[in-house]
Amino acid sequence: MSYQQTDKPTEQGSFASSAVATVAEDRIHQPLWRVRLSLMWKSLKGSWVIFAESPIGLIGLGIIIFFALFALAHPILMKTVWPRAIYDPVIGFDATLPSHPAAPSIRHILGTDAIGRDVLSQLMSSTSSEFALGLLAAIVTVTLGTTIGAVSAYFGKAVDVIFMRLADLVIMTPTISLLIVLGALIELNLIQLGIVLGILSGFGGVTVIIKSQALTIMVKPYIEAARIAGGNDFHIIFTHIVPNLLPLSFLYMMFTVTGAIFSEGVLSVFGLLNIRMSWGLIIYTTQSSGYLLDFKRWWLIFPAGLAITLLCSAFYLVGRALDEVVNPRLRRR
Amino acid sequence: MTRYLGGRLFQMLITFLLFQTLVFFLLHAQPGDITQQMLGDPDIPPEAREILRKQLGLDKPLPVQYLTYIGNFWQGNLGVSWSEYPKPVTSIILERMPRTLVLFFSANVVAFTVGFLLGRVLAWRRGSLIEYPVTVASVILYTVFTPWFALVLIWVFAFKLKLFPIGKFITVRLWRGGPFGANEVFGRMITLTAVLLVAVFLLFFLTRKLSVLDRRRIQIPGFLILLVVYLGYWALSPMGKYALDIAWHMILPIATITLVAFGGTMLLTRNSMLETLREDYILTARAKGLPEKVVRDKHAARNALLPVVTSLIYTLAFSIDGGVITETYYSWPGMGLTLLSAATSNDIPLAIGALTFTGVMALVAHMLADVVYAFLDPRIRY
Amino acid sequence: MTTDILRVENLTMFYGTRGGDVRAVDDVSFTLKEGDSLGLVGESGCGKTSIALTLLRLLPENSKINEGHVWMKDTDLLALSEEEMRHFRWKRVSMIFQAAMNSLNPVYSVGDQIIEALDEHIGLMSKDQSRERVAELFDLVGLDPALMDRYPHEFSGGMRQRAVIAMALSCNPDLIIADEPTTALDVIVQDRVLRQLEEVQEKLGMSMIYISHDIAVIAEVSNRIAVMYAGQMSEMASSYAIFEQPLHPYTYALMSSFPSIKGKKHDLEPLPGEPPNLITPPSGCRFHPRCPRATSICAEEKPPFKDYGDNHFAACWHPLEH
Repeated sequence: MSYQQTDKPTEQGSFASSAVATVAEDRIHQPLWRVRLSLMWKSLKGSWVIFAESPIGLIGLGIIIFFALFALAHPILMKTVWPRAIYDPVIGFDATLPSHPAAPSIRHILGTDAIGRDVLSQLMSSTSSEFALGLLAAIVTVTLGTTIGAVSAYFGKAVDVIFMRLADLVIMTPTISLLIVLGALIELNLIQLGIVLGILSGFGGVTVIIKSQALTIMVKPYIEAARIAGGNDFHIIFTHIVPNLLPLSFLYMMFTVTGAIFSEGVLSVFGLLNIRMSWGLIIYTTQSSGYLLDFKRWWLIFPAGLAITLLCSAFYLVGRALDEVVNPRLRRR
Repeated sequence: MTRYLGGRLFQMLITFLLFQTLVFFLLHAQPGDITQQMLGDPDIPPEAREILRKQLGLDKPLPVQYLTYIGNFWQGNLGVSWSEYPKPVTSIILERMPRTLVLFFSANVVAFTVGFLLGRVLAWRRGSLIEYPVTVASVILYTVFTPWFALVLIWVFAFKLKLFPIGKFITVRLWRGGPFGANEVFGRMITLTAVLLVAVFLLFFLTRKLSVLDRRRIQIPGFLILLVVYLGYWALSPMGKYALDIAWHMILPIATITLVAFGGTMLLTRNSMLETLREDYILTARAKGLPEKVVRDKHAARNALLPVVTSLIYTLAFSIDGGVITETYYSWPGMGLTLLSAATSNDIPLAIGALTFTGVMALVAHMLADVVYAFLDPRIRY
Repeated sequence: MTTDILRVENLTMFYGTRGGDVRAVDDVSFTLKEGDSLGLVGESGCGKTSIALTLLRLLPENSKINEGHVWMKDTDLLALSEEEMRHFRWKRVSMIFQAAMNSLNPVYSVGDQIIEALDEHIGLMSKDQSRERVAELFDLVGLDPALMDRYPHEFSGGMRQRAVIAMALSCNPDLIIADEPTTALDVIVQDRVLRQLEEVQEKLGMSMIYISHDIAVIAEVSNRIAVMYAGQMSEMASSYAIFEQPLHPYTYALMSSFPSIKGKKHDLEPLPGEPPNLITPPSGCRFHPRCPRATSICAEEKPPFKDYGDNHFAACWHPLEH
């Protein structure tokens, strides 16, 4: 085993290969799963180091953690300090105040909306559904995109042509417009929206990118070796190709989350979704109760819009930082 | 080259047909009949429904309907709008489309140009102090929640500073009883500005091979003359103040779109440049002793340009998408607003027509992108 | 009396990396006379390309030149400002890069890229004059001048390499550094390009530094050879001396590791051990862990780069006897 120094940029997976050198030497007698686990741990640590180097990624991560805590705080507050009758985000009503929407005060840090509900409570409770939506869409996209990309690259020819044409079709479709028309016809709930968004993303641009990456993996010698050793197609795709695609897939998960939260926001703002509470819905309520251009009552719009912007930005920032981990050519040396 | 483009066109048409099929099935996705929505009013007798169904061809079997639909499309017939009965969908689109295009075209071209020029400088200076703040700012602009952003801009510039109007196309008071219609003036604005742009482009194009000194001597006065002529026309024409009114209403929406697109372009340019900078020919260019600016612009940026230009073309194709949000918040009566209101008021023909039209734009954009790419990259000429 | 065209003194350059400083070039000194063709030989990662990049000052951001001087006719290249160095590049020293496949910008024609260099350093040439010069250069390297308006992707690998050579010659530099110019080519094309290079060098009387890990290629084109190991110079002499009378055990090992058609049949002896870690290199003589003649002094003190007579330098405590 050697550890060569060259002044050329290292390829993706270099952490794994250098880790192999040191690990394999002294752990040949360990069971395979242990070795795999420690390899993964080493490469994760290495990736974290690179990720942590860029303040961009850390800022994004920080914002995400903030919102995660924000979401967690809601049930705690509801159980302890906030009486349900007043602070419930959907059906609460504060009868003690003369008029709604009420300005921010000690009792209602971000004021109340037009029908007497606490705005902060609405923000907090929606956070978890935003995360859930993002996660659902991301998982669907990544599963679809990776599988299709790998299969497309592996089998080529007819399979490839079909999927790439399909991707063309999806890329050609205007997502927001389609969702709006769809929303006008069928009111989607959060889960359905997540799946639809996931499918739209999964068959589209992500697949093309992952397929290109899969093509570069296909020409690597170990694929040929696996084939000669008698591995069947399924095995090769899922044991060799897909794991090497995962970093890229994970990267695109971040961007999918951004898109999903944004799309949900837009649809909610136009009242086209069948959900009880979301950040976009807060703005919709403001509009339907006629306070949209009432700038004195800033708390009705500003926090919700800011929340959407921040969370979308956060995931995008994390995605950018991950880009440097996954794509060594973008790294600073 | 033509063979390649011909093949691509064919592929695109197939894709478009699939798109239309998708749209068609969207139309028939919901349970029940569309006429139910339109004639949900119990006062209308069921016979009227039957007549309408016959008119819309809904009594025929599905495959026949599908073929009629496709056939109609290629004849330029997209049906009649329900919310603006009996205006045909096509004429509504033709009326509203230019408004959206003007907005998005001007905003995106400006945003991409400035974004690219700045982005390439930023990428060149990797690790400088301004890199992180600018990147974060670009990300925020790119991912900002557009409805909210529009409202913020309205609040600051229209409400607080009272510099611009709070939305809409025109100040109705000004036009009422006046000699001109909004579309007339707007049309004139578009044609004249297009003429101006073509003239400026020709000016720069025809003089590009001259030496630097001669070039400046012709280009600068030439440009100024053209500008004076343009503005002079508006100043002297009776349409002038109406045109100004429309222009004044355009500024905030354009600013919103420009800022968001600017963020995206900066990020894309930066990424593209970073990839390009790792190429061997950049090292060669530096080894040749060329000045930094030349290496950056002539060698790196020129190659980094390709994905950025492609992105610009696709962004233009999805103007309607973007328009839905921006136009709604500024009450700008363009195609996006039309799509949204059609969808929410269940004007199915108009909604589907608008959606199909976006597909057409995407198709055109694809083809255009292919041509431009072949033009910019000698490696893919066939 | 031939003059020195290049004099490198105690050149030291490190790369800063996450794992520590990579001591890529550590106290290297050598001289090149006008008209000489010096072959720089060694394993991958021994510092050859790093030296080349240092001479042109084209190092990446994370590099630091700690010490040394690079004299070209009374000018210390390391002391020049970036602007001054820019004028120096290509006009006085030019380079042919490894794997010329990508050395040419794909969106401009080959001729235009050469004219670009001419405009920058020669200047004041009319369009026709530049094109004439390009045609001349193409001729010199065996390319059809009519190809000058074609794009790089329309050239084959060998043709591209020759175009790059033509480009390197364009401003009549005093010194050309060729970094593995034929590694990416197949043997037949390689042979042709090498011949061309030799021809050109003879005709124009240029000085060359030829970098390669392939001893056979070096033997063909250079009249002097310098052997590098782990960022340091281990031996430098005329080609004949390196082959017939190597002093350094590493040089000897290099010679023994490839077969020769003539001469006795002998077993190929690969070098034991591993290439050294340049962040924490071995103490004393860096070759000592793999050297069959090493003793305790080799591990403690670094041997000086001595002249053993007749311009034959070596850095070894126990040089081979002849």
